[in-house]
Amino acid sequence: MSVLEARDVTKEFREGREAVPVLHGVSLSVAAGEIVALEGPSGSGKTTLLSILGCILTPTSGKVTLAGEAVDPRRPDRLPALRRRAIGFVFQQFNLFPALDATENVEYALNLKGIAGRAAKREAERLIDAVGLAERKNFLPRDLSGGQKQRIAIARALAGDPPVLLADEPTANLDSAVGAQVLEMFRDAAKSGNRALLIVTHDPKVRTIVDRVLSIRDGRILEN
Amino acid sequence: MVNLAWKNLLYDKLRFAITVIGVAFAVTLVFLQVGLFMGLLDNASVTIRHLNADLWVTSKNTPNVDFAHTFPETYVARVRSVPGVARADNLIVWFMTLALPSGSQEGTLMYALEDFTRWGLPWSIESGNLGDLKRGRYFFLDRSAEKRFGKFSVGEYREIAHRRMKIIGSSREALSFSTTPIIFMNYRLAQEINPDELDGNTTYTLVKLAPGADPEAVKHEIRRRLPHNDVYTRDEWAYRSRNYWIESTGLGLNLGMTVLLGCLVGVLIVAQTLYTSTMEHLKEFGTVKAIGGGNLQIYGILGQQATIAAIVGFLVGAAQTWALSPLLAKINLRLILPPGFAGIVFVGTIALCLGAAMISFKKVASIDPALVFRT
Repeated sequence: MSVLEARDVTKEFREGREAVPVLHGVSLSVAAGEIVALEGPSGSGKTTLLSILGCILTPTSGKVTLAGEAVDPRRPDRLPALRRRAIGFVFQQFNLFPALDATENVEYALNLKGIAGRAAKREAERLIDAVGLAERKNFLPRDLSGGQKQRIAIARALAGDPPVLLADEPTANLDSAVGAQVLEMFRDAAKSGNRALLIVTHDPKVRTIVDRVLSIRDGRILEN
Repeated sequence: MVNLAWKNLLYDKLRFAITVIGVAFAVTLVFLQVGLFMGLLDNASVTIRHLNADLWVTSKNTPNVDFAHTFPETYVARVRSVPGVARADNLIVWFMTLALPSGSQEGTLMYALEDFTRWGLPWSIESGNLGDLKRGRYFFLDRSAEKRFGKFSVGEYREIAHRRMKIIGSSREALSFSTTPIIFMNYRLAQEINPDELDGNTTYTLVKLAPGADPEAVKHEIRRRLPHNDVYTRDEWAYRSRNYWIESTGLGLNLGMTVLLGCLVGVLIVAQTLYTSTMEHLKEFGTVKAIGGGNLQIYGILGQQATIAAIVGFLVGAAQTWALSPLLAKINLRLILPPGFAGIVFVGTIALCLGAAMISFKKVASIDPALVFRT
């Protein structure tokens, strides 16, 4: 069953008076427990598509469905709630909060999702433990290696148990050994948690864990 | 709950310190300016507040207690006959010249009464007996005079209006707005040494009301009987005396400008540091949005940071002012800061800091959330 679906999605940005089309009728779907890689050169529309699927941007036209809920582009005020409920993000630059330690980074995401107090603390520690960083739970991001930061970012993305994981170049800043560990962690998160996982990547090693590869060029999906 | 606002402030301690210093500077500036001004203004009416008089009869259009004009002293009889008046006495307030042992001349403000004890003047006696004032050419000198006149001791002599007079006592806290030192002497002696202007004349008539008397009714009746004089209640006269200095000297405007500048400096520093901090944390705010937060959460973070900076800055500013107070007292400058005013400054500090944060609110509202994907 499809958890993440886009149908005939187009996106235009305005540059002055000119409309610049970035996506041209993109359709894709990712089922629960499925891992899909989205590959494409710079400027092909990968990040724009990821932003639309992640309810950060709204499409100019077309339909996006997330965990059974159609995204209404006329109600951007509802998008934060949908993001909280359905999506976990992992970014290339990790995007951890530098002032918060590892546990707090996860706990803050849980707080935003409505889980507070001891329950949030316990759940954050459980997730940190699940990514193998229990002994570093009180470390600030500046005291963690790139791989450790990305594992914390994965733990944060899993906070609140979202049905969809979206990852943007998650191995780009990691060496190959650490990248392989992180990819294993992604596979485990998708398969054992029955989550739909879409990974935007240039890294060929990502293909070792995915079920399907989609290519995007000039705003169009080429293969499916 | 994880408090991202507080954690961010503590993480960037230097920036937080700069923000707090900015707010504290503004708060200290406002406290010092207003406190000193109120202390100075209090001098303008300190004798009025301490004198045990309910009503003051003055000559027409007397602007303040120091700048008195004369009227016939016999008017006191008309005042005493007004129903509701328990007692009425004449008071002379007059500028005199005092010669110092060095030979230099200084101005002094003389308060002269027949019976000082009855009217509670001076209210803080350091040494001497007020009853002795009528026994000869004697006077009391306030200790604050040492700043202008130099050290003095009871028993020493000074020349007032070319007459040698003995200091038989000293008081404290009797100050004038113009910082002219105050002396206290017998009413008849004051007339005797300045006969041209004061013989047969007074400058004020002090009125003590009988218990239960209606001040307005008595005031009205005195005005009817003395149409060429003015009559004020104690509060009205104190207000008029203080207000004279605010309006006639431009001090009020000056104070307003300084307070405004202080606030402006504080707001600019807070706005600038918060804005810079917001710009540096844009990606973090984008991440907050990406993981499910909205603008409200980010406004909350910025608002909280502004409020924390305001509260800590206020406390530091208030502590600085409190620490400076004894130092200022050593140079005869009094700080008067009523709790109500401190409350207004506290609320104002928070409001202005939140106002300063609004600039950052605007920036955050326009964040492109897709920046979280940028490297």
